[in-house]
Amino acid sequence: MDYQFPEQLYPSFYNCGPPDLVLKHCAGNWGCYDGVRPQGGSGPLSSWTFTSRHQVRGETWRHTEPAPVPLLPPKNSVLWPSTPPDPQDFPEHMQNFFIDHCQDAFGSMSEILNEDLIFKQGTKKMSRIDSVYMRKMESLIKKGKLKKRPLSFPSKVLNAYGSMLSDVLPAVPPALLGSLLFEELNEQRERILFSEAATGGAMAFVPFSQSSSDSQSGCLLYPGNQGLDCLNFQRVELQQHGGTPPCLNTISSDLSSFQLKAPVRQISTVSLINNCCVAVRSDHLCGVWRFSEGDKPQLMEVVNTKEVATCISVSPHVLGEVLVASESGAVDLWTVGRGMQRVREEGENLYFNAKSSWRWCEFSAHPRVMVYADRTGVELTDIRVSPVSNHTLFRISNTAECRSGERLILSRYLADIHPFHHLITTQHSAYIMDERFPCVHMLKWDHMMQSPPMFCSTFPGSASSRTAKVLLGSHRSQEITLLQYSGGKAEACSSRGPPQALLRPRDSLRHLPVQLPHRLELATSRLSSPAAGLTCIQKRGGGEECICVLQLTEAGDIFYQILEPEQSHTPPPALEKNTISEINPAQQPPPSLRRISEASSDEDIIGPTQTQSFVAETQEEERPELDTYASSNESWSPRKSRRMKNLQLQVTVNDYDNDETVSGLDTGLNEETAREEKADIPEEPSRVEETTSGSRKLSDGVLVTWKQWLQKLMQKSHKNKPRPQRRQPFKITTKELIDLSSDDEARGEDSAEKERVENVRRDLRACMANRSLLVHSAVSASLGAQEVVEVPDAVKTDGWGDPTSERFTISWQGEGAWQAWWAENLGLNREKKVEALRRKRRREKEVRRASSQRSVLSSSFCSSLSYQSDLSDFSDLSGWSSSASLGAWSDSGGGLSQAEGSGTRPSLLNQGTRPSLLNQGTRSPAEPTPPPNTPKPLDSTPATVRRRKPQEDYLSALFAPQDDASQHGGYFLEEESPVLHAPPPVASCSSQSASLRSVRTGFSQSLTPSQSSQGRPGLSQAPLAKKKKPRMGF
Amino acid sequence: MDELDRELLAVKDLEDDNDSFDDNSSKASTKSKLPLVNLDMHAEPPRETGFHRSTRVCLEHIRDALLHHRWQEAAEYMACYPQMLEDTTNGPSQSCKELTWRISTEILHHHPKSTLEDYNNIYERMKHSGVRHYLMICLEHSFHLLLHGHIEEAKRQLSVSESWRHGKESAAQFQRTKLIQAYRSLLDYIIWCDKKCTHSSTENSDSAENQDIRNYFRTASVNLKEILKNPGVWDPFILCYVEMLEFYEDHEEALKVLNDYAYDNSFPPNPNAHVYLYQYLKRCDTAEKKLMKVLKVLHVLVPSHELMLEYSSSLLQSEKSGDLQKALGVVLEMLDFACWRGNLVVWKRLEAIIQKLQREKDWKDVVFTKMSDRQGWWPALHFTNFHASKDSEENPELMQVKAPLTKTLCPSLTLKYTDWQAINGK
Repeated sequence: MDYQFPEQLYPSFYNCGPPDLVLKHCAGNWGCYDGVRPQGGSGPLSSWTFTSRHQVRGETWRHTEPAPVPLLPPKNSVLWPSTPPDPQDFPEHMQNFFIDHCQDAFGSMSEILNEDLIFKQGTKKMSRIDSVYMRKMESLIKKGKLKKRPLSFPSKVLNAYGSMLSDVLPAVPPALLGSLLFEELNEQRERILFSEAATGGAMAFVPFSQSSSDSQSGCLLYPGNQGLDCLNFQRVELQQHGGTPPCLNTISSDLSSFQLKAPVRQISTVSLINNCCVAVRSDHLCGVWRFSEGDKPQLMEVVNTKEVATCISVSPHVLGEVLVASESGAVDLWTVGRGMQRVREEGENLYFNAKSSWRWCEFSAHPRVMVYADRTGVELTDIRVSPVSNHTLFRISNTAECRSGERLILSRYLADIHPFHHLITTQHSAYIMDERFPCVHMLKWDHMMQSPPMFCSTFPGSASSRTAKVLLGSHRSQEITLLQYSGGKAEACSSRGPPQALLRPRDSLRHLPVQLPHRLELATSRLSSPAAGLTCIQKRGGGEECICVLQLTEAGDIFYQILEPEQSHTPPPALEKNTISEINPAQQPPPSLRRISEASSDEDIIGPTQTQSFVAETQEEERPELDTYASSNESWSPRKSRRMKNLQLQVTVNDYDNDETVSGLDTGLNEETAREEKADIPEEPSRVEETTSGSRKLSDGVLVTWKQWLQKLMQKSHKNKPRPQRRQPFKITTKELIDLSSDDEARGEDSAEKERVENVRRDLRACMANRSLLVHSAVSASLGAQEVVEVPDAVKTDGWGDPTSERFTISWQGEGAWQAWWAENLGLNREKKVEALRRKRRREKEVRRASSQRSVLSSSFCSSLSYQSDLSDFSDLSGWSSSASLGAWSDSGGGLSQAEGSGTRPSLLNQGTRPSLLNQGTRSPAEPTPPPNTPKPLDSTPATVRRRKPQEDYLSALFAPQDDASQHGGYFLEEESPVLHAPPPVASCSSQSASLRSVRTGFSQSLTPSQSSQGRPGLSQAPLAKKKKPRMGF
Repeated sequence: MDELDRELLAVKDLEDDNDSFDDNSSKASTKSKLPLVNLDMHAEPPRETGFHRSTRVCLEHIRDALLHHRWQEAAEYMACYPQMLEDTTNGPSQSCKELTWRISTEILHHHPKSTLEDYNNIYERMKHSGVRHYLMICLEHSFHLLLHGHIEEAKRQLSVSESWRHGKESAAQFQRTKLIQAYRSLLDYIIWCDKKCTHSSTENSDSAENQDIRNYFRTASVNLKEILKNPGVWDPFILCYVEMLEFYEDHEEALKVLNDYAYDNSFPPNPNAHVYLYQYLKRCDTAEKKLMKVLKVLHVLVPSHELMLEYSSSLLQSEKSGDLQKALGVVLEMLDFACWRGNLVVWKRLEAIIQKLQREKDWKDVVFTKMSDRQGWWPALHFTNFHASKDSEENPELMQVKAPLTKTLCPSLTLKYTDWQAINGK
């Protein structure tokens, strides 16, 4: 009983006034019952029941696949950037324009100036000076082109010319161009954020009368072509055969398309009396088509609107009546064939100034009462009386519990659900209004979508499902939200369950095999292009019920997802690989499809070696049967792939790029079937588990469809690369660096050369076969004598005394040495040294004290040294350790005094230098580096040394260190012994004992070479002693 | 939206104060202005601690899971979220508490093993976490109890929250208090019904028990009377109030309340208000004239209402001269609406009206004036070939009624409906 009005409505306050609510949280109205009303009753307490306005449970609809499936192969498309442009970036855009289109930007003026500015030298018109400047400038410009940011290339000349000519040269004054660009970018940004022209959606589905129990066929209307300016009528069929997941097939033979002059913005359809009336809106043109199940679409009439049309709406009452709203604020009733009749015109917004020229119109339950809407509210306009009478249906106000800033996005007459219901959406909420009780909403949802819902598709509840469903689609974020409600007739409306978000194409890549980065980028940007339409196909009656939600994106792609009502006992809908093909005869495609499958599937999908050309070829094959416009609309039914599965052939679709995904497909499938089997074992799988298995895998058929889709997308993108860049890539001229010309000549002429190359190749092959190295000796035979390049001499670091060089040299000795150097240099170990010095003094004092007694011993120092070296570690310690604790040993072990003949002794006793001896001994004993503890006096000398003969230093350091030590000895006459220069590697050690130990052990080793070197001629003791002397003397 | 934008907009807001509706996220463009939902709802705030970041991300996950109806996943995340309530930096915000309450209740709604204790737990805890949402959660709590049949428990809850006071109350809080009182009174009424029922069954006219029942009426009526003073939709409340008043034979008050509900201009145009008044008047055997008056108002409001059948029939029976024309208008208008188009009763009514009208001299003019603005679209609405075939299939009787009427209603047109009948009907 459609005419019934609910006997009792839910209680609510009626608040007038502007909206003032500010919602801070993002939970919408989750968890709320939002009012209850009593039912039954008037008897005992137990007879009373209550119903809430928001009912907790709705119907559970589950996706058959975890990702939407592309319906059509990808077409070429121009993608807008997914991120909205920042209007503040206009200088950058201007710069690009100036560089990329310099002819347009400066062409006219440069032609005029061309006569006066001559870039070449030697012309008579200009003065010589000017032409020189110009020449300079030319080179500057040339250089500038190579730069990444040419305008930042600094040049006085350029700047001067720039300031002189900047306001003359550009064809469009930069200020004007800038402001225009800013405006344009602003508009683009807004259009990307919210494209109000797309409101309503450019896709529709008209169901045909049921053809069979397990399929629902109808006509899908969608825009095609790159600019979405081609209206396609294509027959599609939603098929479901017992046990298999339903799938949507396009029937390509039944397609007609119409090329329009402008992009399709909105398609509004109504099916009345076996006839379907289709109204199509583009910005300035509106057209009406008519078709039916048997008849081809036929264009009835086209009108040109002066102002941009914002809405078109077909009458659900009278065939051929269309409402058109335009930005001027006017609504016209267009009776096809009888012209337009203005029914309402509003210059201003209805309830407050929302500064918006967007208007919307719909029909209502009465054929002569129109719904007129703008951003502020909705009015019912009775057009029977001459000054039309209006009354409010909805307004943005406190009554509707609007939030501040809320605006109306879409209004839709829900003729198929309830003859008096209207759906109204805002950025935050969706309302169900009953036109019999205006101003008060029957129902309100918080749809919780990120961008405002501007597409809507509804379908009534069927026999098995009692709830009416409303699908809201948003533009930019591609969201689709499913809302369910019931009531409105004898009982008050109540919403069922919380809003349910459906799948978005942009999220589908997660479920697909991993793509290569550049493909991923392309696919992501393609998949995340904003939505442009939404429609759904409902299959009811016959077998199982299901709904198919189709979404159109601005790139022209259509994705569909199929939802099924959840039944606790049915296993998950994914296929089991082998069984279906045998059980189900329906796997064989219907005749209309079979031809395509045979023509295309076997060769082009399965073939392991796939070339790009096959696509074009197969399309050619298909074409004759198609309509002239339907060049590339071949269907992509999943059954194709399933058929391949039946043939047990391996599917290698993407093999030339990512064959691992193919194997991944198989394993994924196996896993899935395994999981399915596992899941089937328990008798009653937990409901929650079932519903929360969000990470389900795609079935194989869908995977193949996706892979094909992605592959074709890549091919398309290869074909139409972006226009060649005018900017040259950054190049370095290498002509000066490498002169290849002689080589080229030689190669060209000399056959001997060729032969030699051949020989080398042969050798190389032989070497590879033997797994040996291709060394010079092997090659030289074939190449002939080659000039032997000498190995550079060893680096001699002793010439470099400045701290940096020192540090570098030291760092070769390892981390420890390097740290020690720093400690030394920064004076970190100063205290230690002072301590050591003190100890030394003390010892010396003691020695001096004792010297009087041991004068005999002191004279025999040299012998005692040699004696000690022969002794063990123990004796070393006794002789050389500076440790205070060992003082007794040293005292007893070695009689030391300054007065003694050998100059090495006192310096060796110096703690700082002692370990260096060790290092020198083990590595390169004679490597002469200035002592680190006396860096300052050395500063001047090594610099000069290096300046004088650096190359000799290299060589000597590398090759003949020992010889050079004597040779270079002269430089160090004033220095300490070369043996003593290196920093102590142990100085970095924190603990004294550790350092001590290493000193001890090291010293014993170090002494041996130094002593042995005594006997050798290279490192004679004599020059060292000589060197020491002056120092000792001060 | 970036900072600069916001700043610019702030400046703009200062400039045009007269447009208070202009939300701060609208842009200074010439063409269209639409304040979008805050696009960076989940965007990072400029400064946040790791704790806030993790809870924010957690909330995003919860939200996503809830929107996709993955309840278990949401519940798992939700186990972590309430630590936000122990936020020590600046204390948990109001919105955060409400969020916790809403999300947890929603998850409980879909948990297969949720018990009433769980609900009570969450309601009680969140109720006392902040003063601002106390009343709202109380109300929701009692709704939950009512829906699960715990009427007495719900009444206790409502009585507790009724006595709750906290400083200055906002408009929303005031309304919630009123609602709580009204719902409590509704439950009083239910108990009143219950007592009355048991009382009548025992047929024991005990005065003490009568007094007890009357007390329930008194407590209920105070609040019900109170809430009916506020503009709003109070269908359940007014019905039970009127029932009690009728029981105690306070017809004056009942009529006043119903009249106020129907004719007070501050109230929304609720068709039910008129229906209730009509039904009450009919119960009281009021004069036909008064009933017609009510229906006349209802006709203006809802010309498609099912009471229009009664209106048209009483107009038809009326002896006044103009009433027949009115009846014709009412029925024709009913037939304008899709829901009545195939209704045999209405068509028969129309037939009767026409028949009665034909006794008058100028009946053709009357029909013509009524049909003049329908000539353009009525044929398409009722009398096409398609309608003919449909009617003959589904409702031949309707066709029998409709076919002769076509000539009367649209005499100037040759309609396919009758043609079709001529061809196929015979």
